[in-house]
Amino acid sequence: MVKLDQINISNDGLTKFFSPIEAAILKTLWTEGEMMTSELTEKTKIPLTSIAGTLDRLVKAGYAARRIDNVNGRVRYVYAPVYTEDEVATEITTKIMDSLVESFGHVAIENFSKYSDKK
Amino acid sequence: MNLLGEINCFAVCLKLSEFAMLVALLIVISISLLAASFMIKMPKHRLLTFVSAQIAAFLAIITTFYLMKCDGMLTIYLYSGYAVISTALIFGVQRFYDRLMIKRLNAKPISNVIGWVQEFTGRLANATVYYYDAAVPRAFAAGKSIFVSFGLLEMLSDDELKAVLAHEAWHIRNNNRAPYMKQLAIMTFSSPGREEIEELADRYAAEIAGSEALSRARSKLDKVFI
Repeated sequence: MVKLDQINISNDGLTKFFSPIEAAILKTLWTEGEMMTSELTEKTKIPLTSIAGTLDRLVKAGYAARRIDNVNGRVRYVYAPVYTEDEVATEITTKIMDSLVESFGHVAIENFSKYSDKK
Repeated sequence: MNLLGEINCFAVCLKLSEFAMLVALLIVISISLLAASFMIKMPKHRLLTFVSAQIAAFLAIITTFYLMKCDGMLTIYLYSGYAVISTALIFGVQRFYDRLMIKRLNAKPISNVIGWVQEFTGRLANATVYYYDAAVPRAFAAGKSIFVSFGLLEMLSDDELKAVLAHEAWHIRNNNRAPYMKQLAIMTFSSPGREEIEELADRYAAEIAGSEALSRARSKLDKVFI
């Protein structure tokens, strides 16, 4: 969960920074917007027993928000992403760059500028 | 006084005492009751037998200590301290545990989200039902309160929820005995008959909500019941 000590560079895509279940939930929320728990389990194909704890963690960490919905006496959570995909990308990039600059100082900054020249 | 000396002291005192036979008898009774409790099928009788075995073991400990003629025995001091601290913790915590949980979980009265739950539970036990914000389905009873996570409300149908509520209501109805059983387990260095207690709560839940609803709720929740 976007903690620098848990970044795993060898993983693919978002799972570098999030657990596979966290990544699946976030991706689904980014594409679909608001979703009920049952819709999330259907879309991600992850059973509720595995998804519930992760949803609690995402909400606690501030990546997802939920509200209570009550239809004809049936209650349920409706989830929504708190940040857009770009905002999360910016947050992660800033964290990593900060840590690189902190460790390597001007060498890191020189490499950033080389990188942007190449682009 | 060192420990080896104490063991020696126990042996000498027991040998000299006329009550050594009584201690031996209590130990034999305790072991036989324990063995019997493993063979009994009915959860209620099994629990009673198990608790009786614990009482016999506790009496054996107390009698042994009573017979000791040696002064200032470390083991007796330790055991008394252990008794005082555990009693204070168990009975103290029991009293405030539900209020503590309401605060910690930021729990809210269930009537805020579902109307019938409080009324249904009120008929079974003198308990207030609270829900708290968590997707992980969970239900537990503490003091005079039943706590259910929102995830539980979301996952279960009404009759399955009734089975869970009845299970927890049974715990509340029998909660006044629970701390004594825990205390007895601590004093005899054994465990309270948790499995039997859960089984009795389930039997009650099946009576109230039907065994089919209970087993559906169980299969959905697996091991989240407490």
